[in-house]
Parts: sequence; structure tokens; C-alpha cells
Amino acid sequence: MKPIHAHYDVVIIGAGLAGCATARALVQADPHSTRRILVVDRYPGVHPRFSGEWIHPRGAAVLDALGFHGPLREAGAIEVDGFAAFENADASYVDLAYAEVEGERARGLSVHHKVLVRTLRAELRREGRVELVEGVTACELRRDASGRFCGVVFEDGKGVTSEVACDLVVAADGKGSNVRKLAGIEDRRETVGFTAGVEVRNATLPAPTYAHVMLGAWGPVLAYPIHREPDGTILTRITFDLPRELPAKGEAIKHYLLRAFVPFIPAPLSEQVAAAILARKGPLEMAPTVDLPAPPAVLPGLVLVGDAAGCSHPITASGMTMGLRDAETLGEQARRRQATPIGEPWLDDEALRRYRVEHDRYVPTRQALATAIYEAFRGETEGARAIRRALFDYWQSGPTARRRSMALLSCAELRPSVFLSEYLRTAGHALNVSLIPKHASHYPVADRVRQARGAAKLARDKLGLVANVVWAQLRPSWMQTEPRPLRIRTPRAAAGPSAPAAGPAE
Amino acid sequence: MDRALVQLESRLAPWRDRARACGSNDPAIRRPESRWLVEIPDVGPTCEVLLADRLLYDLQPLERDAMLAWVRANQDESGAWVDVHGRPDLSLTALAYWALAQAGDDRSSDRMLKAVRVVHALGGAQRADFEVRLWLAMAGLIEWSWLPAIPSELFLLPPQVPLSPARFSPWARGVLTPYLLIARAPARLHLADASELLLRRQGEALVAPRLTRAGLAGDLLQAFDRGVKLSRKLPRGPLPQLAQRRALRWLDELQQDHGGWFSTRPTLLSLIALRVMGARTDDPRIRRGLDYLRAARGRVRGDGDQILIAQGMSAAPLSITADLLATGLTAGDVAPMLRAQLQDPGPWQTRADAPAGGWPTEPGARSHLDLDATLSVLDALSTLAPGDPAAAPAWAASRRATAVMLAMQEGSGAFARFERGEADVFMQRLPWTDADLLAYGRPNDAVHVRLTAAVLQRLAETGLRTEDDRVRRGVEFLARTVGDRNDDVPLVTACAVAGAAGALLPDDHALRREIERRIRVRQRDDGSFGSLHDTAAALGALTDLGHACVQAQRAARHLVAALERDPDAFVNGRTTHDGGPGLSPDTLDPTAAARRSAQVLRRHAALAAQVTELRS
Repeated sequence: MKPIHAHYDVVIIGAGLAGCATARALVQADPHSTRRILVVDRYPGVHPRFSGEWIHPRGAAVLDALGFHGPLREAGAIEVDGFAAFENADASYVDLAYAEVEGERARGLSVHHKVLVRTLRAELRREGRVELVEGVTACELRRDASGRFCGVVFEDGKGVTSEVACDLVVAADGKGSNVRKLAGIEDRRETVGFTAGVEVRNATLPAPTYAHVMLGAWGPVLAYPIHREPDGTILTRITFDLPRELPAKGEAIKHYLLRAFVPFIPAPLSEQVAAAILARKGPLEMAPTVDLPAPPAVLPGLVLVGDAAGCSHPITASGMTMGLRDAETLGEQARRRQATPIGEPWLDDEALRRYRVEHDRYVPTRQALATAIYEAFRGETEGARAIRRALFDYWQSGPTARRRSMALLSCAELRPSVFLSEYLRTAGHALNVSLIPKHASHYPVADRVRQARGAAKLARDKLGLVANVVWAQLRPSWMQTEPRPLRIRTPRAAAGPSAPAAGPAE
Repeated sequence: MDRALVQLESRLAPWRDRARACGSNDPAIRRPESRWLVEIPDVGPTCEVLLADRLLYDLQPLERDAMLAWVRANQDESGAWVDVHGRPDLSLTALAYWALAQAGDDRSSDRMLKAVRVVHALGGAQRADFEVRLWLAMAGLIEWSWLPAIPSELFLLPPQVPLSPARFSPWARGVLTPYLLIARAPARLHLADASELLLRRQGEALVAPRLTRAGLAGDLLQAFDRGVKLSRKLPRGPLPQLAQRRALRWLDELQQDHGGWFSTRPTLLSLIALRVMGARTDDPRIRRGLDYLRAARGRVRGDGDQILIAQGMSAAPLSITADLLATGLTAGDVAPMLRAQLQDPGPWQTRADAPAGGWPTEPGARSHLDLDATLSVLDALSTLAPGDPAAAPAWAASRRATAVMLAMQEGSGAFARFERGEADVFMQRLPWTDADLLAYGRPNDAVHVRLTAAVLQRLAETGLRTEDDRVRRGVEFLARTVGDRNDDVPLVTACAVAGAAGALLPDDHALRREIERRIRVRQRDDGSFGSLHDTAAALGALTDLGHACVQAQRAARHLVAALERDPDAFVNGRTTHDGGPGLSPDTLDPTAAARRSAQVLRRHAALAAQVTELRS
């Protein structure tokens, strides 16, 4: 299958959540159907690897606005109410409910990733305003003489290539984005570990419509409902955070999970998880966990959305919500320029700059939160453990604390003052819990000091991160640079009107 | 190999039954006549029980005779009573002689005369350990001033003060609290005269032994000791009474669910203290304590058909019973182990920030954590199949125990066994001759190195790696202590370190390579590494390090050959289990070699099969 037309206004590479949502947002911004939009994906069906499945209310609102919410619910998606965080399996959980966050939708959405992608693609096809081509890979990007991206060369599974021209390329092909590489954007991805997943049918979750974050093992264990089958059976996803240097391979990884993770899950869920691991035929589903500091989200003629534009550890489950916000933001820019005459770029440089300004405001917050929370939940250092104890201590201090944290975690809150005050409060609690132990009546002073120093060191180390987030919110938009083409090292001195954009950025 | 493993496991079956009997609540099963001790101490505790019976009136005639028979059976040809390593021991010889003399043995018999000669040759009973001198003082044979003075006011100090008895090791607290009460009374027991054990030059009076070490600091302390004793003659207001009441309250609080105190000796002294303070023999506290002592007694192997009963150090040491059960765990074994886990707050939490969890030395010791026992129980529970109905409660207990283990880490990176700070007691730094009693070992001793290595290996099982600062500090402690000692690390300690290194460190890590070298060079021509237990430990270490090499195969063959040659001796060995607290720190562990062999031969076979598969 090949693209029908030789020219498109927008070519979206990647038909996952971010790609489909961007396509639908652009369609909505073009009420008279004057624009041509092409969406391509390398996999004819869905990506074989499991991926994000949790969408915060902010993302669910975007899905609703895009008209995807209803079809997803019909396909088995489950409306969800928040997070249940367990400091350990013997403690009662902290209820971090979405409903506490003022001014936001009360429920998010959780959906099996494969169901999600199938449903979104089916919706796009049903609507018929987007051309969706599966089974082709972008193998080259074309640039014009000014360095602006102006076309894409595709290759199908048989090695047959085809080329289309376009005004805008949208890279929505995930954290391992091929487009990013073709565009010469430096790949700063770092694999921080792996996530293994199993599905449990009718799991006994302490809070059935919550995502459960269970600590105590080497890394956090997450459990959340992902699918309701027509007969009422609920599928629950259990994920295990594994180190980068996998301690076991193949079948042995199952025994490792049974030994090192399952004991840290509260009963009776632990028994159900153990049974699911043992019953699984073949290898477990695994996916790398990647930390990708946000690259420039915009180049002339190219936009990055979703995980391609930066991703972090999935502990805050914000990746899909960020992708949806990218789609929404890009859709808004497209709507502003819906009256642009045919022949002119729909999304010009100024529109892309505005997209980037907005994108750069919420992405650093998400990445900073995910990194900090993951570090605290892993608890490998005195400081991280102090922050972990402090977080739970803080959350248990009252509903206001939970509401403020939840607003940040669910991507509903962007005010720098809130972020800064949450940071200071957590740091204060960390010092407090370091100096006053929970169980020991005569804890040695040296231990208290060591813990407090660890907490202070971590808080100090995070100051740069906090400053970065605060600055991202406060930075005036005029300081945001125009999208400029990367200087490309090309084999020839002068690139032609459609020179391939290859080679790393300088 | 498979045949040998099956044989070994079946040979261990009767011992597993004994382990189950130890943990049983059924008094019929726990009667000493039907129960073998799985851990056998020297004759010291047995002798003390025999002596104390003058005050407690508890032993049945048959029981007393069987205990006396055990004491007699252990006399060496030289006339001495030896410790579990076979070394003549002054304190044991003095106590054993005294117990037999009290039972009416002929003092002019050859073996009794030999015993007195041994005592005199070793310096006389006045040079024996603290416990023997306490008995001599209670019998009125020496002055109370020959024992170190503990200012009673110490018991009024808050626990965070370094001089407070709360900072002693739990065993020392269990001994010194009743000692304060006994010494303040002071107690006077009508025991048989054993003055012949005291060495005196002709016509001279006994000379008080020096209580402090030589040197200026020792002299000053001796002066302080005298000062304290003199000050007792002065009016001190209500403080001594308050301290006495505090000590009595501690005794009440520290009596465990099983009826005893920390172990046999603290229990015996606590019972004496209660009697001295006026409690009758039918006092419930005394009855429960006596029941505990009886439960901690059992039969031991004697010559011929003679029934010998020995007083054990504890009723059912969990570290050994769990190890035994792990060789063939059944569903019924799990519940007693889970029942034994700590669920109430205890003094170990004073400096360890973790909720209650882990296991004590023996079931029913609700206040005393023992990390050694905790590791054994965790090892046993880890053999449960994930689908077992008992798996979920076992997991819950395991994760609590993991939190407890982590909380027991000292600032140095080592792990404490009973309480944090147990090996570094401030009062121990003073030059008392008996100062070592106050602490449990030394911070860097082999016991703490082994325990640290075992904890790290267990933590590695739960996924922790050296990226975690607690694990890293533990590994640094091992590297520091093992590196300090050049080649004098005991083989079993080196093997424990190898276990941790194999689980946590990369192949090229200096500690891992060094410890492997130290183990490899100790193999002998016959494939062994010394005793059967040492050979099994070394085979385990090589397996932990990922080697199914020629050396490992030779060690495995040696074990299998020894098992086939004399299976009875294999499961009734004489492995010493060192490192217990107090005055009988070492015990005999008959099945240690067999247990370890069963475990490592299975692992070695699996590893060798993997290697063969990879090569093919």
C-alpha cells in the first residue's frame, strides 16, 4: 500500500496514540476538508511491544474533544480514578484521587495499548478524512534549499520506495523515533532499564479503578486495570521495573520476578500475579525504559510529538497525556491558521514556534517529576529513601497535600509557584523524617545526620532541575528562538532542492 | 550424585522430625526422653542447672541422673572437661567437678582428683570466668568483692546514655540485670563445699583476683571499683532501691513467651534472682522459666544404650531447625515458622528503624531478634513453590524480614545479629577483665563478617545491587575486613564472603578474585578442604562464584565418597557452630555438614548440567 497523492499538507509518521490524535486534531482544525493529511506506520497491525496504557484526566479530556473517548470506552477502556500508592505491601495505601484536583475532569482512562491503537486507527479510517497507510517506513527526509523539510521517502516491506512532498512532517514514531534520526537530531536517549509486563484476569485490586504503585522491591510494581471484556472480565496490567543490566534472561526472568518482586505485592494480588507469571507461555512482554531529555520539538517543516519529543520513566504515567497535549496544541495552532490560503504552509514557522513555546512549558515539568519520583521510589540512596518517606509522610498529612501533588502528577498544574512550593515542602518533610525515625526510639545521632545529609544532598542536586522547570514556565515567549534548520554535514557542498537530510547534527 | 543426594536427604529425615519436635507445641513430643538436641553445648549449662536445683527444686531423679551421666561422660582422660573444640577449660572443669561433688560423687576417686589437679594447674577456680566466680560467691566460698561492681545507679540511666545497661548486648543485659539483684541481696546458696577448687598457697589466705587489666587505666579502674564497693557502705538515699525496682521490672518485662529470658544462662540467673528477691518456687514466673529450661533439654548421643540428657542453650534454635527443614520442607513446616516471627516491638528496635519482623533465636522469644535465625528461615521459606498456599504469608513475612535486615546495618556497613551496637559497647572499652561479656563479639570479627556476607547474599536475592548504598557499604565493609586480614580468614568465613561476592560483584572485582584465590589454595590432595563441613562450604562458594570447575568436581566427589563410606557418621558429625553469645559461645552441630552438603551438591549438579548443556 502506498500513499495516493504526491503532496500532502501534513505527513504524520507513526500511527500510535500521538499520531492518530494529532491527525484527528488537525482534521478538526480543517472543517472544510481542504487539507491533505497522511498518516503512516511501519506496523501493519499494531506495535508488538506493550506500551503506555494510562491516560490522566487531562488527556482523557483531549480524547473526548477529539471524539475518541466514546469509541474507546465501547472497545473496553476503563475510566479510572487515580493512584493508590503503597509505601510497602503491609501499609495501607495513600489515595491520590483525580477527583481531588479542582477544575479538572474527575476520571482518567486506562486502555489496553493494542485496543487503543486499533480503535484510533479504525476511527480515522471510518471518518475517511485522513489517509492511513500501514506497513511502510520513512527511510529518508527531503529538504529544500533553505534546509526546510519538504518531503518523505517511504519504503514498504518489500523494499519498494515511494516519495511524497509535504509542508510539514510530524514525527510521532515514539521514543526510538526514526524520523528524529533522519532529521539529524542528536539521539540522547538513555536506556535506564526495562519494564516487564503480565496481564492478570479479574485481579483483586485493593482499589479496583486505581493504578497501584507498590514499592519495596528493587523497583516499583504497577498494577492497573486496562480492559473490560464484554463478559465483564477485567484485565489488569502488572508491570515490573527491571534494572538495565538484566539479572536474568529468558525463562529465568520469571523466576527472578517471583523471587524479587512478587513478595512485595500485597496478598491476594501477589498470588494471582505469581500464577499469571507461571502460566505465561513463552517470554514475558518486555519494553525498554528510556530517558530522553526533550530534544528541540520543532525544526523548519518538522514537528516532534509524543514520546518522540522527549520521554521519561513511566512511573508518573504521563507519556500518553503528554502526547495528547501535543496533539491538542498542534491542533490549536492549525485552527488559528485554518483560513490560510491553499498553497501556503498550513502551519508556518510562527505557528510551530508557538507550538514549541507551549510544548516546552509542560514537558520539563513532566520529565522532572518522573525522574525525581522514580529516583525516590527506587530508594537507592539515603537521600532518595528520605524523599520517599517524606512523600508518603506529606501525602498522609492531609487532603491539600494530596490534591496539590496530584495536580502536578496528572499534568493539570503548571504554575511554577506550585511546583516550587511542592519541592520545598517535600524537602522539608525529607529533613524531618530523616531526623525523626518512625520506629527507633533511640536512633543514633550519626544515622540521623547521615540520612539528613543524604536528603539535603539530593534536594541540592535537584535545584538545577527545579530551576529549569520554573524557568520553563516563566520564560517569556519572545525568548523562545525561531525554529532554525540544523546545520547538516552533507557529502556534497551544496544540497539540491530536495537533498536528503542525513547525517548527525553538528 | 543423584543417588547420593537421595540417600543424604533420607538420612536427614529423622533429624527433620527432631527439628519439627523442637518446634512443636505438644508437650508430649517435647519431653526430653523423646527428643534429641539439634545443637549441643558444652557441659556448662547442664552443671549450672544441677547446681541451681538446690534453690529451684525442679529436677526429677531420673532427669538429674541422666544429666549427671552426661557430665561424667564428657570428662576427658586428663581429668579436664573440654570445650566443644576439645580444649581443656578451667571454668567447665570447675563447674563439672562441683556438680558431681554435690551429687555425691566420691571426691577421692581418681577422676575427681584429676579434675581438681586440672583446676589447680589452670590457676584455681578463682581465675575461672565470671559465671563460676558468681557461683563461688553465692556459695560463700569467695568474697563478693571478687566480682566486678556494677553501680546500681547505671540502671537508672536513660537508654541513650552510653553507660546505660540498655547499650549492652542483649545477652549481657540478660545476665547483668539478675546479677545486680543477686549481688545486692546478696544471695547465699547452700551448695556442697568446693573450696578445694580454689588455689591457695600453703598457709596463705586467698588473694583477691585482679578485676582489671594491667596498666594505668586498669589501676584507675580498679580504684574506681573499690570506690564503688566502699560507697555501698555509705547512705545513698533512695537510688539503690529505685535501681533495684527498675531491674526487677526489666526482669518481668524481658521474660519471653516461651518462659525463658534471652537463653539458658540469663534464664537460670533470672530465676535465681527472683528466688533471692522472695519469689516462691510456685511463682508463675519461676514455673514458666523452669518449663523453658526443661524444653531446652534433650537427649544426646552417649556410649551404648545410656540415656544422657544435656541442657541446651535454647529450646529450638531456629537457625538450625529451619536449615534442617529446608532439606525437605513440607506444607506443615511453614505455619510454625511463620508463627515464630516477631510481631511485637522489642528492644532491638531501639536503634533499628523498622517495624516488627524477622525471627528470634527460638520460637517464643518475642522480644529478641536474631538475624542469623532470620536468614535461615528466609532460606527455608525460599524453597516454597510459588503456587503453594503458604507462599503468600511466607512472602509477607519475608518482606518484613528484609526491612528488618536493612535496618540492622551498622554505620560501618556490617550487620548486627541481635541489636545494633551489640559489638561496640562503650563499657567494653574500659579495661575490665570481664569487659568482653558486655558485647557480642567485635565489630570486625569473623561472626560479623559472615553475617554481613550472608545478609548481602540474601539482599541480592531480592534484587538489590551495589548501586544501592546500603549494599555498597556492606561490600566495602567486607573488602575492608577481609583485606585487613591477609590470609588468616577462616575458610567458612571466606566461603560466606564468596557467596556475597558471587551474587553482587562482577567477575573482575578485586574482592571476588581475592576471595576465590584464598578458597582455591586450601584444597587438599584428596579433594577436600578440611572437614566435611568445610568441603561443603568451599564447594558452595565455588558454585556461588559460578564455577563447576575441576576443583569443585573433586570436592563434590569427596563429599559423595564420604557419604557412601559412612553415611551414619556423615549425618552425625562434630561440626562446631561458633559465635553464640555468652559463656558457651560454641556448640556442636551434628548435622551441619550433612545439611550444607545436601544443599550445595544439588546446586553444583544443576550448575554442572548447565555448563555441559552450554558446551554441547
